[in-house]
Amino acid sequence: MKKQAVQAEEILNSANKLRWQIGDQFHDSLMESIYRDAERISQTVVNKKDEKPRFNWDRTLDRILTSRVVGLPVMMLLLALVFWITIAGANVPSGMIASVLIDKVHPILKDAASVLPWWMSGLLVDGVYLAAAWVISVMLPPMAIFFPMFTLLEDFGYLPRVAFNLDNLFRKSGAHGKQALTMSMGYGCNAAGIVATRIIDSPRERLIAIITNNFALCNGRWPTQILIASLFIGSLAPPALAGLVSAGAVMAVTLLGILLTFATSWALSRTILRGEASTFSLELPPYRPPRILQTLYTSLIDRTIFVLWRAVVFAVPAGAVIWLISNIKIGDLSIAAHIINLFDPFGLFIGLNGVILLAYIIAIPANEIVIPTILMLTVLSLHMAGVGEGAGVMFELQNSDAYMRLFNAGGWTLLTAINLMLFSLVHNPCSTTLYTIYKETKSAKWTAISAFLPIIMGLLLCFFVAQIWRLVQGMG
Amino acid sequence: MTHPLESLIFACLAIALALALFWPQQGFYWQIRRGNRNTERVVIEDALKHFYDREERGSAGTLASLAGSLEISHDKAASLIERLQKMDLLQTYRHGFRLKSEGRSYSLRVIRIHRLWERYLADETGVPEVDWHREAEFREHRTSADQAEEMAARMGNPQYDPHGDPIPSSTGELPPSNGILLTHLPVDELALIVHIEDEPEILYKQLVAQALHPGMKVQIAEKSQDRIVFIADGEEIVLAPVAAGNVTVEPLPKEQEMEGPYDTLDTLSPGENATVIGISRACRGMQRRRLMDLGVVPGTTISAEMRSAGGDPTAYGIRGATIALRSQQAKQIFVNRKEAA
Repeated sequence: MKKQAVQAEEILNSANKLRWQIGDQFHDSLMESIYRDAERISQTVVNKKDEKPRFNWDRTLDRILTSRVVGLPVMMLLLALVFWITIAGANVPSGMIASVLIDKVHPILKDAASVLPWWMSGLLVDGVYLAAAWVISVMLPPMAIFFPMFTLLEDFGYLPRVAFNLDNLFRKSGAHGKQALTMSMGYGCNAAGIVATRIIDSPRERLIAIITNNFALCNGRWPTQILIASLFIGSLAPPALAGLVSAGAVMAVTLLGILLTFATSWALSRTILRGEASTFSLELPPYRPPRILQTLYTSLIDRTIFVLWRAVVFAVPAGAVIWLISNIKIGDLSIAAHIINLFDPFGLFIGLNGVILLAYIIAIPANEIVIPTILMLTVLSLHMAGVGEGAGVMFELQNSDAYMRLFNAGGWTLLTAINLMLFSLVHNPCSTTLYTIYKETKSAKWTAISAFLPIIMGLLLCFFVAQIWRLVQGMG
Repeated sequence: MTHPLESLIFACLAIALALALFWPQQGFYWQIRRGNRNTERVVIEDALKHFYDREERGSAGTLASLAGSLEISHDKAASLIERLQKMDLLQTYRHGFRLKSEGRSYSLRVIRIHRLWERYLADETGVPEVDWHREAEFREHRTSADQAEEMAARMGNPQYDPHGDPIPSSTGELPPSNGILLTHLPVDELALIVHIEDEPEILYKQLVAQALHPGMKVQIAEKSQDRIVFIADGEEIVLAPVAAGNVTVEPLPKEQEMEGPYDTLDTLSPGENATVIGISRACRGMQRRRLMDLGVVPGTTISAEMRSAGGDPTAYGIRGATIALRSQQAKQIFVNRKEAA
C-alpha cells in the first residue's frame, strides 16, 4: 500500500516536470496530426471521380445572388414578396376564424354557461375563452403562412446568402450577419425569432440578436400599427392619398425599428456585452430543391403550433385578469378604473393615457389583445352606454367612424396616436417571448435586460416626443 | 402641467446623471464598488506578489518599493510588513525583505490564480487584451483554490498565460526560464518571443498595438540609444528601448531561419488558391478552435470563392465546404499562395 502511494507520487512528479517540456501548443499539434491521419486514410481508401471544372449551378447562382448589383435587390424583392403574401393571405382566414370563434361560438358558450353563476360564466367565457380565441384568430393565419415560406427559403439554401450579403452592415454594429434572419423571423413572431437565434453560434452576437429582436414588429403589433395609422395619420391627408400616407407611417415605424436594432446592437456590444466571447464563421451550404411537404410539416409543428401554444397558455390568465379587474369593484369603481385614474397623470404627461398604459400591462402576455383591451377599458372608464359588450369583454368595432367616436370620447389626440405607435414598437416583449428568452439564455439577468431596456427606451421616446410636440405647439 | 422645456431639461440632466453613475466599467457606482475592495486579504496578497516579483528579478523588496507598488503611505507599508512577519510569511534579508517558504507558496498560489484568470479572459471571453491584467488583478482575490482548480481543469490545465508567463502548477512548480530581454539580444541573432510584460499599462498598450505576441520569431536589425529596429515574423518593427525591455526572448539554434513575411488569407482574391501555414497565436480560444474544427490546419488548401455583396465576408472553399470568414479573421491565417497552374 505504502509502496503504491510512493509510486503514484513519483509518477505525478515526473508528469509535472514533463508537462513543461511538451509545450503549450500540444493541443494544436494533436489536432493537426488527427487531420494528417484522416487525410492519409481517405487518400488511400476513397476513390475520387475525375475532377471536372467546377462549373455548376451552385457557382452560377451564387455569383448572381451575391453580386453587388443584383444581390441586394433580389433579396429585397423576395422579402417583400414573403410579407405581401403573408399579409394578403392572412386576412381572409383570420376573419373566418374570428367569425367562427368570436361571433358564433362565443354566444353559444355564453348560453351554455348560463347555468353557472354569472361571475363564473363571465370569468371563463368572456375572460379566458375570448382572450384565447382572439390570440388564435390574429396569430394563427399569418404564422401558418409566413413560417413555411421562410422555411422553404431556408431549406433551399438562400437564407445563408442573405446573411453573407448583409454581414458587413451587421459587423459594423457589432452583430452577426445571421441576425438579419432572426430579425426577419421576428416580423412573424418575436418568440420564434428568439428560438431562431440558435443559428448564431457566437455567444455575444447571439445575445445581441436576442435582446434586439423585439424591435422587429411582430404580427401581433402590425394590426395596431395599421389601425392607428389609418385612423389618425391617413385622415390628415386628402382621401385619395390616405392609404399611401398611412402605409408610409407604418413603414416609418418599421424603419425606426431597424434603426433602433442597429443602434442598440452597437451600444450593447460596446457596453454590457463587451466581455462576452465572439467568433465568426458562416457556412454557405450547397443549394438543393426544397422538400416541400416535410418543410410544411416541420414548420407548422416546430414553429407555428409551438409558438401558438405558448401564446395561448399565456393569454388565458391575461383574459381572466382583464375580466376580474373590470368587474371587481372597490367602492364605486372597478379596480381597472382605479388604476386608470392612478396612471392617467403620468400617461398624459408622456403623451399617452392611463387606459393605454393599463392595457399594455395586462396585455403583456400577448400584443394581439392590446387594441380590444384598450377599447373595452375606454368604454369602461367613460361609462359609455350602448358601446361594446360589457365590463371585461373585449371587442372590436366595425368601421373607422365608430373607432374615431370612441377615441375622441377618450380624449385621444394625434400625439396620443403617434406615441401609441411608437410605444407599440418600443416596449417590453410579450411574456411568451420573455419566457422563450429565459429558456434560451438560461439567465434571469439577460431576460431582465431584454424586458427593461426596451420599456425604458419606449417611455423615454414617448416622453421626448410629447415634450417636443408641446413645445412646438406652444410656439405655433 | 410643467412647462415642456423644463421637463426636457430635467430629463436630460437625469439621464446624464444615470449614465455617469452606471456606465459599465467607468461609472462612479462601479468605481466606488471597486474602490472599496482593499480588504486585508487583498492588501496582503498584493504585498506578497510584490516581494515575489522583486525576488524573481534578483533584488529584494523594500519598504519604499512596497509603498510605491501598492500606492500606500510608508506608515501603512511598515505596519503591513510587520503583519506579514508576524504571520511568518516574510523575513529580513540584507537591506530588504525576503519571502519565507510559507510566504513563497502563498504568493505562488495567488499568481497561479491571476495567470489562470488572464488565460481564461483571453481564451473564453471577449474582454479586450489591454484589460486582461486589470480584470485578473480584480478577480484573483475573490477566487478560492477549489474554484481555481475547477477553472484550470475546464481549460485543460494550461501552462502559460497569454503573455507567456508560466502558470505555477498546483504544487507551486515553475519551469526554469532561460529567456533574455529583447534589448540584450545581439544583432542578427534569431530568437523566439516567450514573454510580454503587461505592466506598466502604457508600455503594454504600445506592444499590443504592434501586434507582438509570444511565439513570434524576431531578429534585431539595428540597436541604438533611442530605438531598436527588429524584424518580427518578417515585419519590421521599431520600438523605444524602454518598451523593448518588456519583451523577453529565447535565442534559437543557429540553423533556423527567419520566416515570413507571410501572406495572409485575406489578400487572396476570388479564384486564387493557397496552402495554410498556420494560424496566428493572436487568434485564441473559441475562434481558434472553430477555425481548426473547420479544417484550417497547416497543409490545407483553401480557395477564395466569392466576396459578399457588402464587400466584407469572403467565402472560401475549405476541404469541400464553403465557409465565409470576415477579413479580420482571414488576416490571422498565414498562407502560401499557389501560383495559378
